[in-house]
Amino acid sequence: MPMGPIEMAFAYLLSVLGVFVPAILIVSRGARARRLAITLILTAGVAGGLVAVSSFLWQTTSLLDLSWATPFPFSFAVDRLSAFFLLLVCAVAVPVTIFASPYFDLHYSEQQRRWTWAFFSLFLLSMIVVVTASTGFAFLAGWELMTLVSAALILIEGDSPERRHNVFVYLLMMHVGAAAVAGCFFLFLPYSHSLDFGMIRAAGAAMPGGIRAAVFLSAFVGFGAKAGLIPLHLWLPRAHPIAPSPVSALMSGIMLKTAVYGFVRFAFDFLGGGPWWSGYVVLVVAAFTGLLGILYAIAEHDLKRLLAYSSVENIGIVFLGLGTSLIFLAHHSLLGAGLALVGALLHAFNHAFFKSLLFLGAGAISSSTHTVDLNELGGLQRRMPVTGAAVLIGCCSIAGLPLFNGFVSEWLIFRSFLAGSSLVDAKAGIILPLMVGILALIGGLAAACFVKAFGVAFLGRPRSAEAEHAQEAPLGMRVGLWMLGAGCICIGILPGLLLRPLVSLVQVLVPGAGVPEETLSIAYIIPWIAAIVLGTSALAALLRPRARMARTWACGLPGLTSRMQYTSTVFSKPIRSVFAQVYRPDRKVEQLPTDQPYFPASIAYQSVRTTSYERVLYRPFVELFISLAHRLRRLQTGNIQIYLLYIFLALVSLLTFLRFQR
Amino acid sequence: MKIMVDILQLLLLILGAPLVRGIIARFKARLQKRRGASIWRPYVELFKLLRKEDLTPPTSSAVFRLAPVLLFGCTVCVAAFIPVAHVSALLGSRGDFFLLVYLLGLGRFSLSLGALDGGSAFGGMGASREALISSLAEVPFLMGLVALAILSSRADITGMVAWTLHQNIFNISTVHILAFTSLAMVVLAETGRMPVDNPTTHLELTMIHEGMLLEYSGPSLALIEWASAIKLHAMLALLIALFGPWGMAAGGSGWGLATALLLYCAKVTVLMVLLSVIESAAAKLRMYLVPDFLGVASAVSALAVIFTMWVKR
Repeated sequence: MPMGPIEMAFAYLLSVLGVFVPAILIVSRGARARRLAITLILTAGVAGGLVAVSSFLWQTTSLLDLSWATPFPFSFAVDRLSAFFLLLVCAVAVPVTIFASPYFDLHYSEQQRRWTWAFFSLFLLSMIVVVTASTGFAFLAGWELMTLVSAALILIEGDSPERRHNVFVYLLMMHVGAAAVAGCFFLFLPYSHSLDFGMIRAAGAAMPGGIRAAVFLSAFVGFGAKAGLIPLHLWLPRAHPIAPSPVSALMSGIMLKTAVYGFVRFAFDFLGGGPWWSGYVVLVVAAFTGLLGILYAIAEHDLKRLLAYSSVENIGIVFLGLGTSLIFLAHHSLLGAGLALVGALLHAFNHAFFKSLLFLGAGAISSSTHTVDLNELGGLQRRMPVTGAAVLIGCCSIAGLPLFNGFVSEWLIFRSFLAGSSLVDAKAGIILPLMVGILALIGGLAAACFVKAFGVAFLGRPRSAEAEHAQEAPLGMRVGLWMLGAGCICIGILPGLLLRPLVSLVQVLVPGAGVPEETLSIAYIIPWIAAIVLGTSALAALLRPRARMARTWACGLPGLTSRMQYTSTVFSKPIRSVFAQVYRPDRKVEQLPTDQPYFPASIAYQSVRTTSYERVLYRPFVELFISLAHRLRRLQTGNIQIYLLYIFLALVSLLTFLRFQR
Repeated sequence: MKIMVDILQLLLLILGAPLVRGIIARFKARLQKRRGASIWRPYVELFKLLRKEDLTPPTSSAVFRLAPVLLFGCTVCVAAFIPVAHVSALLGSRGDFFLLVYLLGLGRFSLSLGALDGGSAFGGMGASREALISSLAEVPFLMGLVALAILSSRADITGMVAWTLHQNIFNISTVHILAFTSLAMVVLAETGRMPVDNPTTHLELTMIHEGMLLEYSGPSLALIEWASAIKLHAMLALLIALFGPWGMAAGGSGWGLATALLLYCAKVTVLMVLLSVIESAAAKLRMYLVPDFLGVASAVSALAVIFTMWVKR
C-alpha cells in the first residue's frame, strides 16, 4: 500500500515517540540530547494534530498495518471518533510538554530526567495507540503500556512505602479494569472470529441479547475503573497527589479520556446502544460519581487531591451525557441521542483542557512555594500574576461559567435532559428532566469548590513564609499554562469551532443521529453575550478611574494577621456540615487534663474523613482474597517432588482434555 | 422599532432598580410605623458613592478591582433576558434560562473572589456562606424553570412568556403553582432577602451578602449595590413575566405598550408590598436552617417537574 502524507505523518509520530526519543535518551546523556528529545516530542505532537484534523476532514480509513512485526494483527485506523480523541491527546500533550521541560529541570536530577522523558514519550505513545488502534490486540497493548508507564512515572519521584502502596492500589485497579476490557473482546470473538474492529462492529448487531448485555456491563466496569467512576475511583485520589504535576495533567487530562473513548467505542460504535436498561445504569452511577466527587473535592485542602476528586466529578458529568444518550437511543429518539453524545464528548474535550491547566497550575505553585496545601498558601496572585490569571481561567471553566468552555458542554447536557421530556416513555420522561436538578447541584458545588481553591490559594494575604516569598513561574511553564488557557477561552466564546465537527462525528457514529437545530444557536449567542458582558464591564470600569490604598478593615484594631483569614477548611465548613451524612468524619477531641473539663490546658482535635464505601465495599473483598490466598498457600509446600507431581497432574489432565476434544 | 423597545425595557430594569429598593424600604418603614426615607434615596446614595474615591486593601490584586465590574456586566446581561412590558427582550428569544442562571453564577463567582481578595475574615465568611446558599439555590431555580419549559415546550424566556400569555388566566395548572412557590423562594434566597439573609444587617454572626462587600468603598461599592438592585428588580420582573404576563403587549402599538407598562408597575408594586410584609413579619433563619428552606424549594420544584407529565397529556 502506498503511503500518503497522512500515513507518513502517523508513522513519524509512532516512530519518534516509541523508538527515537527513548533511544536518544538511553544512549546519550546531557542537556543537548534532552532538548533534542523534547523538540522531537513536540514535533510528534504537532504531526499528530495534523493527522487528526486531516483524517477527520477526509475520513481516511486504514492508516498503518504493523501486523508483519507482531504475532497478532496490529494495525491503526483513524475514523472520526479516533481523530477527535487523537486531536485531544495532541492538543493537550504539546502545552504539557512545554510546561514539563522547566518543571523537570527544577525538580529532578539528571538521571531522573532521562528516565522521566523516556517514559513521558512512551506514555504519550501508549495513549495515541489506544485511541487509534483498529484491532483488539493493538488496543490492549496500548492500554497495558499506558498503565505500566504511568506507574513508572509516579515511581521515578521516589519509593517511600506509602507511595508504593498507592501505586500498588493503582496497578491493581487498572488490571481489574484491563481484565474486564479484555473480557469484552473475548465475548465478541465467537461471533466476529477476529479482533479487527471492522469485524467486531459487523458482529455487534447480530449477537444475542444476553451476550450484548454482558459486553456492555463488562465495558462499563472496565472503562469505568480507568475513568474513575465511583466506587471504582479509589486509585484517582491516591495516584494523582504523588505523581509529578505534568504527569498528573496527562493522567487526568488525557488518560481518563481514553476510557471515555473506549466506552463510546464499545457502547455506541460496536453495540449501537446497549440493552434498554443500560442508560439508566450509567445515569445512576454517573449521578453518584458527579455528586460524591464534587463533595469530596470541596472538603479537600490538598490542591492536587482536590483536583483529583474534581476529575471524578467531571467524569461523572461526561457519563451523565453518555447515559442520557443511551436512553434516547433505546427509545429511538436520535436527535436527543446526538445532542447528549455531543455534550458528553465536548465535555471530555473541555475537561482535558481545563484539568490539565489546573494540574499544571498546581505544579507551578508547588515549584515556587514547595507546597500544595491550600491552608499554607494565599496572596499568590500578586506574586505570580501570569500563572494566577491562567489558573483563574481554568477555575472559571471547570465551574461551568459562561464565556468559558466548561459551560458549553454542561449546557448541551442540560438541554439533552430537557429534551428528555419529549420522550413518550413516562419513566424516561420524568427521570431525565429531574436530572437537571442533580447537574445543577453538581455545578453549584463545583463553583463553590473552585471559588475556594482559587480564592484561598491566590487571593488575600499569604499564610506562610513560602507563599510570602513565592516567585513567578519560569517562562516555559507560563507558556504551557497560557496555551491551555487560550484554548479554554477560545472554545468558551466560539463553541461553533468544535460543535459543527462534533455533530458530523456523531452522525457517522450513530447513523441517523443529529442535533436539534435550535441548540446549535449557542454558537451564535455566546459571542453576543461575551460582547454585552465585557462591554458593560468596560463602561462600568470607566466610572471609577482612581484608587487609593488603604488598610483592610480590622474592626478598629491594629495588626490584622493572615491567620484571621478564612482558610480552605473553614470555607468548606458550612457545606461539610450540611452534607455531614456523606462525609461521616471520625472526630477525636482530647482535652488535657481530663479532670478539669472547663479549664483545659491543651485541646487536641483530629477529624479524619473515612470513605465509607471503602469500608463497606472493598474491605470484605480484600479480606476474602487474603483468606483465599492463605488457603492456597497450603499448595505451596516448598517440596520439589510435590511441584513435579503438580506438573505431572497438569500434563495428564491436559492430555485427557485434548483426547476428549477430538 | 422592536430593538428600541427591547433597549428601553433593559434601561427600565437597570435605571428603575434603585427605585424598587427605595420603595421596598419605604413600605417596610411604614409597616414598622416609621416615616422612612424618600424613595429616591438609593439614587442619591449611588451618586454619592460614585463621586468618592476607591479604596483598595494593600494586599489585594487586580481581582479585587475587576470583580465589581464583572458582576455589574453579568447582571446587566441577565436583565437583557427578561421581558417587561412587551413580549420580547434583547436576548430573550436567543438565550435560554440555563444561560440566565449561569450568568448570575458568573457574577456571584467574581464577587466571591473579590471578597476573598480583601484579606479580612469578613470577606471569607460572606463568600463561604454565599457558596453554600447559592449552590443549593441553583437546584430549585433551574428545576422550577424546567417545569415551565416543559409545559411550554420552549427553553427561551420569551417563548415561555408568550406561551403563558396565550393561556386562560383561570386555567392555571398545578405546575404553575408549584413552580411559582419554588421560584419565589429562590428569589428570596438569590437576592439575599429575609428569611435567608438580612440586607440591613452588619452583624458578623448573620451577614452573608453584606459580608462580601465590607472591603469595598466608593464607586466599586456603588457598582455592587447597583448590581444587586438590578438583580432584585430583574428577579421580580422574571416572576411577573413567567407567572403573570397577562396584559403584556405583543404587538407594536403605542397604547398597548403604555397600558402594559402601567400594568407592570402595578404588578411590581404588589410584589414589593408582599416582599416588605415578608421582611417585616419573618425572622431571619438560622444559617443551618437555610438548607432546609432551599430543600423545601427543591422538593416543590421537583414535584412541579413530575406533574408536567400529567398536565401535558
